[in-house]
Amino acid sequence: MTITLQTIIFALLSVVVLGSALFVVTTRNLFHAALMLILSFFGVAGLYVLLESGFFAVAQVLVYIGAISILFIFAVMLTRGMVAMPRVNAQAQLAALVSVLLFVVIVVIVNPTALSIKVLPGASERVLGGIPWQFTTVTTITDSYIKQFGASLVDGSAYLLPFLLAAVLLDIALAGAVQVARERRPAEVLAERELMAAEAAEEQQREQALDTAPETVLAADHH
Amino acid sequence: METAVRTDFGFVGVMFVTAFLLMAATLYAASLLRPKKPNKEKLSTYECGMETVGDTWVQFRSQYYIFALVFVLFDVEVLLLFPIAVAFGSLSLFATLQAMLFVVILLAALLFAWRKGVLEWK
Amino acid sequence: MDLLNIINNLLKIIGDWIYGLVHGLVGNLLVTDLITMGLAAIILCTFAALSFMGLTYAERKIVARIQDRIGPNQAGPFGLLVPIADGIKMFTKEDTTPTAADRWVYNIAPLVIATAALTAYAVLPLAPGVVGTNLNVGVVFTIAIGSGSVVAILMAGWGSNNKYALLGAFRTVAQLIGYEVPMLLNLIPVVLIAGSLSLVDIVNVQSTLNGSPGIPFVLYFPVSALIFLISGIAETARSPFDLLEAESEIVAGFHVEYSGMKFALFFLGEYVNALAVSFMFATLFLGGYNGPIFPPYVWLLIKAAAVFTILMWLRGTLPRIRVDQMHTMNWKFFVPISALNLIILLLVAKIFQPGNAAMPWVTPGVQAMATAITTLIPFLAGLSIASRRLRSQRDAAEALAETRRAANRAAVTTSMGGAH
Repeated sequence: MTITLQTIIFALLSVVVLGSALFVVTTRNLFHAALMLILSFFGVAGLYVLLESGFFAVAQVLVYIGAISILFIFAVMLTRGMVAMPRVNAQAQLAALVSVLLFVVIVVIVNPTALSIKVLPGASERVLGGIPWQFTTVTTITDSYIKQFGASLVDGSAYLLPFLLAAVLLDIALAGAVQVARERRPAEVLAERELMAAEAAEEQQREQALDTAPETVLAADHH
Repeated sequence: METAVRTDFGFVGVMFVTAFLLMAATLYAASLLRPKKPNKEKLSTYECGMETVGDTWVQFRSQYYIFALVFVLFDVEVLLLFPIAVAFGSLSLFATLQAMLFVVILLAALLFAWRKGVLEWK
Repeated sequence: MDLLNIINNLLKIIGDWIYGLVHGLVGNLLVTDLITMGLAAIILCTFAALSFMGLTYAERKIVARIQDRIGPNQAGPFGLLVPIADGIKMFTKEDTTPTAADRWVYNIAPLVIATAALTAYAVLPLAPGVVGTNLNVGVVFTIAIGSGSVVAILMAGWGSNNKYALLGAFRTVAQLIGYEVPMLLNLIPVVLIAGSLSLVDIVNVQSTLNGSPGIPFVLYFPVSALIFLISGIAETARSPFDLLEAESEIVAGFHVEYSGMKFALFFLGEYVNALAVSFMFATLFLGGYNGPIFPPYVWLLIKAAAVFTILMWLRGTLPRIRVDQMHTMNWKFFVPISALNLIILLLVAKIFQPGNAAMPWVTPGVQAMATAITTLIPFLAGLSIASRRLRSQRDAAEALAETRRAANRAAVTTSMGGAH
């Protein structure tokens, strides 16, 4: 494998992505972890650029840095003791197992040895001084890939169903989150507490009834 | 007049690095020029002129989280609309109707959030 | 004719000359490319920084005139040296880092915001053939790079370890992410007709469209243009959306702890972003560098300056809006109206698509008229419904206050009568 500008950039980006990811899991300050996660996302956007898919690089920045990270930071601000979190918790081993499994699955599916490394015709003309800009390509990617992508999203024989399902999925996610995290009015909270208190009282009464006359009630139940 | 121009991200990277270096250089130049006479009072947190009470990094309200979540939903869905808009010129009427359906689903989520009252800022 | 050609393509000619010069000196293509790209980046950054200085002066002077004041008039003739005096002050002002601050986060935040703001200029088409890089995703890129400011604001708010700063940062971010939605939604109509995400293509489509003279997109989508401009102002957090620096509530928002050059970088970020929004609006909706007689780059500057003047005008005229009003306007008016517009536009633009054999009378002009009219109707209807609802709410609040006042008055009168 020859060293090109691409391989150098790829190496730098890998260091950024992996280094910041390592920082994310080792730091005890949740806010710092979120910031480093943003840096990691940024590096991944760079990898998309190297793969000649500018749209997904920009999408990565817009969605992951511009939206998901902000969501993370807002979620960080919902936790208690965000500057000194324990480094490991009960699920650490499970998480490690899942990560390893995921890695194996990705390697099996992508199968890097089957990737053919070929430089597109005319690639050397794509500036940066005679050094081919392409890194690796599986299929020929042209500038019209955004158009193809868009057309296949609404094409009934291509990705229409997943596309619409994604929209519905996002709706459901929103509905669930609204239900869980919605700030309730004091009156609602009070009503809920009253309801719970009433239920608890009822429960207690029933238990008392069972305590006082267990045989008869049980007998009645059996018949 | 048609002329060849760059179409890759190389310049974006160069621009990013240049802007960063220029701004860092400005900060460095300022650090050479400015006086530096810190004292305890000067370096205290500027809040009310009194000693700061309590932690700053405390729990926030969940409403910010909900707003961010509604934003994530819209961000992702609008982003998916961009490629469709690019392909719009050659789309069939059926495909256009599907795109419209997508926006309707988006709108439904907004109306749901609206009805639940999470869009009120309190 | 030849001279005219030279003037019109001045930027391109200078660029090519520099490229040739560097290539002659270096010889290697890669190094030439890197050097010229670096030079172009430095020129763009300098342009943005200089226009920042110019704009601060222009804004002070114009807003002062709008408000019947004189504005800066001491430093130099007409106060022209004020930006320089500002610069000297910023450079030599002592810069404090609070002891309680999260040092790294606090110090990097201004760098992040300035860098992100400047990088947006990499895709701006300045004249035919003169653009940093003609990305095929330019439109989304300019919005995406704005995420940098959001992150920087959160970093500044957190890093300062100051309650006002953190509150200000959270408020600002809620505003920025909120108004990003209508901004993105109103970019889609432009992409629908242009059929490309590249800013250069969008400008070209507005100069010629299928052989007929081009129509600026503001005529296609007047509603989208309006909402895009307003949410653009909100995105840069300028007046009347400058809730982040509501002095009476949160002192100065997320940058309360910053001083000296670091504060200046936040300030620069704000102005460079505002100018970028003006350029974007000029490029997307006003036809970019297209125009008769004057050279292209002059047209672009004229258009951007006109948009920025509107921004200054609004700043000089409107009071700051309340935080709940701001969110209500966004989520309950702009977003639904934009989504509705989009649904209508998809259908109308498809039906009135030029080049349809069944309807040969449909030209781009007809399409523009159809889209403009069909989006204006729901917008105006929504506006009237919203204004009627707001008025009835205000009347109800007024009536309630009036009855309370009357009750108070009655109570006071009777108690005084009793004292007699």
